[in-house]
Amino acid sequence: MDIWQFSEQAYYPAFEVPGNMRVTLPQSECDPVEAGKLLNRYLDEYMLADELGLNIMINEHHAAATCMSTSCMTTLAILARQTKKARLLALGIPLANRSNPLRVAEEIAMADCLSGGRTEIGFVKGASYELFMSNRQPTGFMDRFWEAYDLIMAALTNEGENFSWEGEHFHYRTASLWPRPIQQPAPPIWMTASSAGSAATYGKMGTVCATFLSGSVARSVFSGYRQAYAAQFGHQAGRDRLGYLCLVSCAKDRSEAFRRAEQMKSYFTTAARLEPTFRNPLGFNPVEANVKMLMSGGGGGFRPLMRNGKPVPADGSIEEYMDAGLYFVGTPDDVYEQIARFHDEVGGFGHLLMMAQAGELDHAATADNLTLVAQEVAPRLKELQEVELDARYEGVG
Amino acid sequence: MDTVSLAGLEFGTLSAIDIRGTQVELFTAGSGAPLLFLHGLDGLEGAAEVIRQLSEQFTVYAPSHPGFGGSQQSEGMNRVDDLGYFYLDLMDELELQQPAMVGANFGGWLAAEILTKEPARASSLTLISPLGLKTADRREQYVADIFMVAKQELAKRMQVGEPGPLQNVMTLPEEQLRRAMRNDEAMSLYGWTPYMCNPKLAGRLHRITCPTQILWGAEDAIATPAYHEAWAAAMPQADTATIEGAGFRLHADQPAAIAARIASLAGA
Repeated sequence: MDIWQFSEQAYYPAFEVPGNMRVTLPQSECDPVEAGKLLNRYLDEYMLADELGLNIMINEHHAAATCMSTSCMTTLAILARQTKKARLLALGIPLANRSNPLRVAEEIAMADCLSGGRTEIGFVKGASYELFMSNRQPTGFMDRFWEAYDLIMAALTNEGENFSWEGEHFHYRTASLWPRPIQQPAPPIWMTASSAGSAATYGKMGTVCATFLSGSVARSVFSGYRQAYAAQFGHQAGRDRLGYLCLVSCAKDRSEAFRRAEQMKSYFTTAARLEPTFRNPLGFNPVEANVKMLMSGGGGGFRPLMRNGKPVPADGSIEEYMDAGLYFVGTPDDVYEQIARFHDEVGGFGHLLMMAQAGELDHAATADNLTLVAQEVAPRLKELQEVELDARYEGVG
Repeated sequence: MDTVSLAGLEFGTLSAIDIRGTQVELFTAGSGAPLLFLHGLDGLEGAAEVIRQLSEQFTVYAPSHPGFGGSQQSEGMNRVDDLGYFYLDLMDELELQQPAMVGANFGGWLAAEILTKEPARASSLTLISPLGLKTADRREQYVADIFMVAKQELAKRMQVGEPGPLQNVMTLPEEQLRRAMRNDEAMSLYGWTPYMCNPKLAGRLHRITCPTQILWGAEDAIATPAYHEAWAAAMPQADTATIEGAGFRLHADQPAAIAARIASLAGA
């Protein structure tokens, strides 16, 4: 199992401001000098991850105190220059919110060259509320996503003549990447899924498929992927095709690990702080999905389940989040055992996308967390055995 | 698409017509001179009472626009400009040579799109809180952004009186909820950006030459006075009136007054 350090790079001083943490939060609440210090601090932690032999994952959001990385590729380009060994994953680029996909391809290619071919690229549907910032059309969202995807892949992999593109959504006289990416035919491509159905789409394509904070649902996501992959390619998908995103708090002392976990918990509590109006822009969800959601009482959205079958409360305890498989907390032995058990329960996966920094966790604690995971947990996770196929498919309906 | 019995519209006939492959639901009622009613963001149901009153003097033709209510979305259409051409086909199909034309908010925009293309296709035009002109100028907003207002608050702000029949989505039965969700989706398709307008419409409105009136509510909480004035400036050939005791959905707040003004302009 490979481990990827990930932080949303929050501007956590704004967590004290009442109300929405996104979309409507006034930018006057941001002290840019403080923001600069924090951004540099998070980059330092990414560089430490590189030194420790971990990989790196970057994301992006917009108009949000919870995430100051407003461009995956900008953050990733800095690390392409400043890190040495780490694989650099953008997870991901919200394609249907981008007005210029050829520019996206250019940025990928440039970062891949800068890094010596260490980039990995995730394309994501992205958060619905970011349509208010991108102002891209909510209807036809996924049509636009797939056209942008086709165009970017055509550009990244092109070894022939330059080409023109007249699509439904995008129009280019000539597509020509200077530079083009080192990794051929293209950097590894990642997608994200939260259901077996969407995972099957990616299984058929053979991209890497990650699922975020989905707990026990990861099992059906991975099964959906594996079945589609096997049907398409005639052999089983390797664990390197599958990733799981979670929070990790590791300390020499168990109570210290829990204390740190409390400091990271505002990642979950701030996630809930957005008015429903912004979560479901008109035209974004299909009509039938909205009808189904409203007929079943409306709102809520996905909540991962605990072992007793009940959803984790929005303000759940650390133990409840751990029970649901979203949080791994404790000594290096504890964390190893929790992750190994989860790995086996969901049928195995090859990438642990680890938030070793979240919420208000400070630099010293983050550095210690990263160091312990890299030195005492990662070597043991490397040795995790494949889950037996019979066991993997047992119980998959 | 199956049509359902629509709340408040039991006094006429709901049928399905095919316009070049797109199934459109059409409500017809009354007798007399033909009148084409183009519904607004509140759908056909939201205009039930004014349609009922108009049907006492006119033969009212009230379709649901493609994508709204029970009408199919037409492949490839994503501008009200497209709907303008679609409605010329629909009027040909229904043999509506020169009906009285009435449009409420979104439907007013649509009426303007139709008549800037073929100005002779209406005998008179009534625009009720029309959208379609530029809804903002840089940082100055003339029309509230309905996509950023919470549903319940929007339901209150749309009129002085009670919210329309499809506006409380938490209590609607499934069939009506589906219609409300289809209206929402169509609003987004046609009005997300540029927001509820065709920036080119202002330069085309001079083509409309039939007797025209523009009606606003005195207590409009959606469009500002500057927007009302912009319409008057863009259509100097039209009469403008402000109706007391009415908000943006003045066809719901003051249906009798609106119906009387439409009949008066149409000479019915």
